[in-house]
Amino acid sequence: METMKKLFTLGVVALLVLTLNSCKKKEGNQFAGMDGDYVSGTPLPDRIDGANFFSGNVTRGQFSPVQFGYDSTSVSDTELMKVEQVATAMKSMKNTVIIAGFTDERGTEEYNRGLGEKRAQAVRESLISMGVSGGRIQTVSFGKEMPADPGSGEAAWALNRRAEFGVVK
Amino acid sequence: MLIKRVAILLTLLSTGLQAEEAATITIRKGEATSVSLKTLGGADGAAATKVLENDLNLSGWFSITPPERATYSIAGTAAGGSLQGQVADQRGSMVLQKTYSGDPRTAAHRFADDIVETLTGHKGIASTKIAFVSTRTGRKEIYTADYDGANVKQITNDGSISVAPAISPNGSKLAYTGYQSGYADIYLVDLATGSRNRIIKFPGTNSGAAFSPDGGRIACSLSKDGNPELYVVGANGSGARRLTSTRGVESSPTWSPDGSQIIYSSDERGGPQLFKIGAGGGSGQLISTGYGYCTEPSWSPDGRRVAFTVRTGGFSIAVKDLQSGATSVLAAGEDPAWGASSRHLIFSTGSSIVLLDALNGRQVPIITGLGKVTEPTWSR
Repeated sequence: METMKKLFTLGVVALLVLTLNSCKKKEGNQFAGMDGDYVSGTPLPDRIDGANFFSGNVTRGQFSPVQFGYDSTSVSDTELMKVEQVATAMKSMKNTVIIAGFTDERGTEEYNRGLGEKRAQAVRESLISMGVSGGRIQTVSFGKEMPADPGSGEAAWALNRRAEFGVVK
Repeated sequence: MLIKRVAILLTLLSTGLQAEEAATITIRKGEATSVSLKTLGGADGAAATKVLENDLNLSGWFSITPPERATYSIAGTAAGGSLQGQVADQRGSMVLQKTYSGDPRTAAHRFADDIVETLTGHKGIASTKIAFVSTRTGRKEIYTADYDGANVKQITNDGSISVAPAISPNGSKLAYTGYQSGYADIYLVDLATGSRNRIIKFPGTNSGAAFSPDGGRIACSLSKDGNPELYVVGANGSGARRLTSTRGVESSPTWSPDGSQIIYSSDERGGPQLFKIGAGGGSGQLISTGYGYCTEPSWSPDGRRVAFTVRTGGFSIAVKDLQSGATSVLAAGEDPAWGASSRHLIFSTGSSIVLLDALNGRQVPIITGLGKVTEPTWSR
């Protein structure tokens, strides 16, 4: 029995070490501020009556979706180029854009709703930092609902961790 | 015992648990009170007895034995919308004698709760309701049922996405997150009349409603200020007050029994972890669990424990004792919710909602065959 206990303790310690090593801090995003003095993102404008991400008066698919790493809300440098295209387009038009955040099927339900919203907000902050007014950008999260690829596996999950753009006509 | 421990150990290692200590479930058989149950007389006696027997079994407090070995004997009659129940001790003295009106099922549940309270001093769960999400229609809609899985009722028929239900403390109202506007909003349903109001509809995503113990406030996640943060809002949707200010995602608030504190999940430090904050504000304090991914906390009504979901390869139900600090994993599944007893939990396995007796480890599927069933919640 004692031997079993010792073996088990060893196992637990090994697992803990592995866990701690793999538990890297989330990378910083585009927000200003240091740890501890972060106050807020940029408040959202009022919704536009009669327009939402899936309504007929919203054009989806005009811009490439921004992809994210697993459990991450950081917009990587390569993905930032997609956001720049949206920023450039938004500067030459007056339309409002709705950003919809999505997650892969892993992760629990309500946390994924928050994660999807945070992804949409991270892209919104990127647009704001590129000079687009926050007053023209709405966000919504669908969590793990409506995957881009209904399959399971790394390829599908990577596609599903995304923020999509909808342009209100 | 050795074999049992080894088995648990192997299970733990094979599922890759990151437990800070071994999760052992202690089964204390000797604690069950022996009762005898005589089939109730009257036209509805058989039906009521069946419900009562199941309630006494699921309560976990009793062993049902022949009368000569029983510490207490239960008898009664049920007919014509009335149930007369009696519980006597070994000397024949009545310890409970009461008449319940209502249909046999409802009356039997109330009798069962009185038996539990009288003989054990604990709160019963037999008269409680649960709510959950089911994909039965092809869409996610909200359903309610009795705690034992009977009387399944579809509450929403939105045809969009209806999720994250919460039942008010007195059982009269249900809050949920609905996408009918194309955005996530919080709706409030009057369960008696079926009337419905969209009470929280700020820009962005409004989700994860949790009623305060007095029913007067709702804690939830709102993103209107540019990040998903925790807020407390009046139960009619008025006066949103922000509690957190982090770079992370705050979700799934759950209230302390006295309504003064809230435990929630936040990923401000990396993977989602549990934190505690004053219901009026303050700074969130980390509740360490030894797990890297902790979501969907539920604070027990007695205030002593918090149940939550951990990632262990798949997802598992974990319970942390807030006094001793010990965390144990009880079952494979997601999204636990404590019942009024502070002994029982319900959770989702995806294909079923399971009733778990956290004291003896017993699991009973109560909702099955309704497609994917998720996000169970439990009235208290």
